[in-house]
Amino acid sequence: MSTSSFTLRYFNTAGLAETIRLLLTAANVDWTEEHPEWPAEKSNQPFGRLPVLIQKSDDGDADFVISESVTIERYLARTYGFLPADPRKAALQEQIRDRLTDIILAFYMQRVASDDKKNELVTKFEDLLKKQVEVSSQALRENGNNGHFFGGELTYVDIATYAFFKYLVVSVKDMQESVSELAKASLTPELHKLISVIEADPLLAAQVDKTEKLVSVLSA
Amino acid sequence: MTADNTTPTYVLRYFDIIGLAETSRMLLTAAKAEWTEEHPEWPQEKPNQPFGHLPVLVEKSGAEDEEDFVLSESGSIERYLARKFNFVPTDNKQMARHEQLRDQHLDAIIAFFAQLSLVDEAKKEKREDFDAMLDKVIEIHTSLIRKNDDCGYLFGEELTFADMSAYAFYKLLVMYAVTFEADVAPFVKDKITPEVLHLLRTVESDPLLHEHVEKKGSFVAHILTE
Repeated sequence: MSTSSFTLRYFNTAGLAETIRLLLTAANVDWTEEHPEWPAEKSNQPFGRLPVLIQKSDDGDADFVISESVTIERYLARTYGFLPADPRKAALQEQIRDRLTDIILAFYMQRVASDDKKNELVTKFEDLLKKQVEVSSQALRENGNNGHFFGGELTYVDIATYAFFKYLVVSVKDMQESVSELAKASLTPELHKLISVIEADPLLAAQVDKTEKLVSVLSA
Repeated sequence: MTADNTTPTYVLRYFDIIGLAETSRMLLTAAKAEWTEEHPEWPQEKPNQPFGHLPVLVEKSGAEDEEDFVLSESGSIERYLARKFNFVPTDNKQMARHEQLRDQHLDAIIAFFAQLSLVDEAKKEKREDFDAMLDKVIEIHTSLIRKNDDCGYLFGEELTFADMSAYAFYKLLVMYAVTFEADVAPFVKDKITPEVLHLLRTVESDPLLHEHVEKKGSFVAHILTE
């Protein structure tokens, strides 16, 4: 039976790769990270961008190289059982995660907006975040408020949601403190529960332990 | 003839535009699924959608007592249909190749729309991002067509999700994005390689999409006429 090892190429920040790192950790596979010289290494990437995931197999097969952060996430989640095989159940998780991507895009857009569009784009971001919090909290409640979206075990959407709020609260703080504060203030009891349960999951310890816990930041 | 009440039927809710729904329309048609499109009053119908936005796919099972399955997010909808109707391989690695291409298409589209709302230096930079992504996508399509014996499909010898996504990508830029910035249509058309044109012709002439092309018109004809 062949075993795989992985290399994640990205920048040395949380950015778009934290969910990937958490999935690799939860999958308990051999993995390392490379931080390519940028933009020097741009032309050496399949699509000229990062992140890139390289999967090496020890049974002589060619490396499998994949780009696009969310495609990488789904590939790992499917392969290692963090997305269910049932297509409907998988789709329900994917749609929630796709929304998180939309919100990060809206965050970026309001940051770079021209003055006349600023207010409109800030409102758009805030509305998207509010709706996401509402829909997520309801789903968590309907699942018994055990910190998981579905069932009682760690799944892809749990990890992606945790990484999303950690990004907005912690990573964004230096970029735009008002957004960090808004994200903190918007957390409902259900989301607080998710954050503490996911952060404490032993499957994620090796990655979570690398930085300050979100739970600590929130209670500061 | 007995009615089959266990075949699912579909409703695709969106605006009456190409937008982000074209690939889903093509998938439903190529799948020979029973489907209709709804154009909800907007923004009145916003609160009635799971995430307050469109597109939304509703899958009605046809069995009594079974609730509709409602899905949002264009990417999730496309992947759900592509998997259900076997327009992607079941092997995870091969499936990921289709998905990454689709995500690439979307990134380029997002870059185009993002630069619309910017000005000056920020706009210039973002437009350059779009240009670079477009070039890269065309390069990849061209390379895949060549590697696939120039049969006209991106992968294998039959119509797949990747082909439909690529067709919708070019169509969106040339026929929809053009309504926001006129120069994008000739800009994109000029860059289309013979291999990409071969892909577009092959997709458009695939019998599975005959009904779609009848309804929506020939995009290839549009490109070739000035």
